[in-house]
Amino acid sequence: MNIDSHIIDFHGHVGRWDGLDMADDPNTMLNAMDRAGIDRSCLFNIFHPDGRTGNDLTAAFVARHPDRFIGFAYACPLWPEDPTAELKRAIDELGFRAIKIYPPYTPYKLDDPAWDPIYRFADARKLAIISHTGSEATCHPHLFAHVAPRFPNANFVAGHSGNIEPYRAQAIAVARAHPNVFLETCSTFRTPGVIEELVASAGVERVLFGSDIPLMDPRPQLGKIITANISHRDKQQILGCNARRLLHL
Amino acid sequence: MHSLEFHPTVPVFDANIGVGHRHDGVAPFACPAELMAQMRAQGVDRALIYPVQGEAISAIDGNRTLIDWSNDHDGFQLQWMANPHRDCLEQLQTLHQQGRVSSVRLHSTADSHLSFTNLIYRDLLTWLADEDIPLWVSLADTPADEIAQTLDCYPQLRSALVGAHYMHAMSVKPLLRRLPNAHLELSRYEKLGGVEELRDEFGAERLLYGSYYPRYAMGPILYYLHTADLNPVELAAVCAGNLERILSVAS
Repeated sequence: MNIDSHIIDFHGHVGRWDGLDMADDPNTMLNAMDRAGIDRSCLFNIFHPDGRTGNDLTAAFVARHPDRFIGFAYACPLWPEDPTAELKRAIDELGFRAIKIYPPYTPYKLDDPAWDPIYRFADARKLAIISHTGSEATCHPHLFAHVAPRFPNANFVAGHSGNIEPYRAQAIAVARAHPNVFLETCSTFRTPGVIEELVASAGVERVLFGSDIPLMDPRPQLGKIITANISHRDKQQILGCNARRLLHL
Repeated sequence: MHSLEFHPTVPVFDANIGVGHRHDGVAPFACPAELMAQMRAQGVDRALIYPVQGEAISAIDGNRTLIDWSNDHDGFQLQWMANPHRDCLEQLQTLHQQGRVSSVRLHSTADSHLSFTNLIYRDLLTWLADEDIPLWVSLADTPADEIAQTLDCYPQLRSALVGAHYMHAMSVKPLLRRLPNAHLELSRYEKLGGVEELRDEFGAERLLYGSYYPRYAMGPILYYLHTADLNPVELAAVCAGNLERILSVAS
């Protein structure tokens, strides 16, 4: 059976990370995407705490291949000003479709009130917010339980689905408890049966394919979905349908 | 490859599967038949298997369990664990005299709080080099500079570096340049375009498919290799042929 719907990668980066030999070379990224049949990748730049610098770099990157890349706005409570103005600019002027936060680069846990202006903006605009989740104290997935009910129109995406146990179990539990929490699949920990577990526990409509491109090649991450023991319909949901719904595409 | 289904198009020989219980974890399969069922479901024909008990606690005990575990089952090639203990070397030498050693795998030097240095591992490495027995070394458990400096003393010793992660991206190429008899097992190597990049510089003959099952699933890296820009000869070599050559086993 051929993939008859678009594949959207919900987790990717713009920028360099030299120590890991990571570079956002569009040709290498597009080659890997093309070879795997990935239509579009969602990208954000988390390396500039002012937000504006990274968002401008993301916009310039996306502008070179607007049919292949989707920009997400990076937002951070370390900004000296209220982030709402930059978020408005990123969404309304740069055309970004969602918000990325990265709590490990701040002292604030993801349920700290310091994030509220960002969540409030997402709630008002019905936007998705993807956050790194995992073992780091600032972003244990269970913290979403304190945030998701307060901003019911925002959709919270647990990047990496908590990555490893016990954080993966936390991510699943919070997604089961709150209809606006979603699980994104990219992880260097490719535990056998993980996709089947996410689908069975949280429901296929809550699972989103992501790869972490260009930190990681998207092909093994796509392979997690393709080789999972789930139905074709479930694979299509994870690979594109759920992302289209969250991004209002 | 744009399909929702995947099955390998070439024979597959997995270079990295752990079997048995580990001191801190129970094996997800109870017997060889259950592992073989998992392999068949993913299109893996054969596997080089090592006892995970030997990674951190005791290579000797791990090797004993491997003898029992794998008895009379086709599709598995046994890989024995090795550490610098004198009893372990004697055990390996006995197994070798019985014609049962085609490769060994170094224990976790990190878990054992031992540096991978010639001071500690000379007897083992000298024996392996003399007997032309290839050595598997985990990059996840042993620093790259220790691997380079120590294996550099045994230029004829063939090796496979396993478990390289994207965090090792800056170490992998220098290691392969410095150690021309080293191969890279790809279970965790997810660097963007990394397979094609390594093929271009070192040739497909230096690369090995491995899954690191049961830590990691078998299918995703196989899928990656099948979507990489490898020609059919290169794909067949990476998925099975190179491992057969290193172990001197028939296809």
